[in-house]
Amino acid sequence: MDWAYIYGALPDLARGLGMTLLVSAVAIVLSMTIGVIGAAARTSRLLVARKFVAGYVEFIRGTPYLVQIFFIFYGLPSIGMRLSIFWSGALALTIWASAFHIESFRAGLSAVNSGMRDASASLGLKAWQHAWLVVRPIALRAALPSTMNTIVATVKNSAYLQAIGLVELTFVAVDRIAYEFRTVEMFASICVIYLFCVFVLSALGHRLERRLDRPYSARS
Amino acid sequence: MLLVEYRYVLLEGFLQTLALSLVVVVTATMVAIVMAYGLTRPSRWANRPVFAIVEVLRDIPLMVAVLLTYFVLPRIGIALDPFWSTTVSISLWGGANGAQIIRAGLQSVPAAQRETAAAFGLRSWKGLLFIILPQAMPVILPPYVGLVTALIQATSLGAVVGVHELLRSAQVLIEQTTISRGGSPAFLVYGFILIVYFLLCWVVSRAGQVLERRFDRSGAAKARTEESPAPRQHPVDAVGR
Repeated sequence: MDWAYIYGALPDLARGLGMTLLVSAVAIVLSMTIGVIGAAARTSRLLVARKFVAGYVEFIRGTPYLVQIFFIFYGLPSIGMRLSIFWSGALALTIWASAFHIESFRAGLSAVNSGMRDASASLGLKAWQHAWLVVRPIALRAALPSTMNTIVATVKNSAYLQAIGLVELTFVAVDRIAYEFRTVEMFASICVIYLFCVFVLSALGHRLERRLDRPYSARS
Repeated sequence: MLLVEYRYVLLEGFLQTLALSLVVVVTATMVAIVMAYGLTRPSRWANRPVFAIVEVLRDIPLMVAVLLTYFVLPRIGIALDPFWSTTVSISLWGGANGAQIIRAGLQSVPAAQRETAAAFGLRSWKGLLFIILPQAMPVILPPYVGLVTALIQATSLGAVVGVHELLRSAQVLIEQTTISRGGSPAFLVYGFILIVYFLLCWVVSRAGQVLERRFDRSGAAKARTEESPAPRQHPVDAVGR
């Protein structure tokens, strides 16, 4: 292991990590937004909306993520939709992650007891107050573990985007290897960086879970 | 039509995908069994290191693992062709995920069952195979079927290091026809193989559901539901993504 070489590669790696975090952050925000909307549609009274969202989730989960990326990056331009590498990647990551967010938010919604609606009504809460003050806190708590899982997976899966040439962490490593053949050094570095990101995110998730658990853990 | 014209290229890729999937599922299962054995050792000195290895394998992005295996193994004197290099990396990743699924399944069986089996003289592997495993199966199978479909999907990563499976053959087809005819058929071809992958995974998870029902019908599952009803997950949920 050549430490001096790794030290020299740090600026490049930092730029790669920056791109990894940026594209992941964009995808996390967008996919969670779609997740909430999708979960609402999935539990709505509209049959068409329910079927559509269910089909979307099934299809995204039933197909390889790498092929989805290629379909978006190479396929969409051939029917006239041109996107930059960054936005193709962000879109692919968003589409993939939102399928999982929809599922976990839906599970969260189903954790809300149906009697809550009557309880809210008897307290005189309006529909939006019921959704915001009652359903939201309960559903989000229930959905938190699997949501954190998907967030962590989003960061990990941003590595796939090196296949379409997005200059993120894995791309930086592979690119340098192509010129300088320091495979062990580069892969060791990016593995450590990815593991660090995953551990930090999981730790944050666990802290949040414990925090949100407080009103319940005090009682038991 | 383009897809009909190049059907042999696509068919060849599809067969290679099937072969790779089969090999990966078999080796990943063997890795999973070995790792699950390590995870369920009572001694901390034995299970902690295995646990650490399993976690690291699950936490490294699969794309990185595939590239790492392909580039680093030759450096330490193990030269593998793309097919086997991909098999090694995906199997290790799948094995780590499978080990956690199997461990969770085995631990869902109440300890009294193991003790009773031992009292009847069914010690060690016999008790495990005839008493514990049949009861653990309803817990193991749903997420394991999800893992198998995830492994099938993961074989598409072989294209990145040059395995001639379905995705790679689609790439080749697109490259050739873009040059010769002008205009990229990427939308059509990638759209088509997305559907092929979807149908393949759908068939596999249907087959898995049939298997699940078989195990759920056997009386062994009743004991489990009385003691601790295990939450049934969506198949894909349990897989480390």
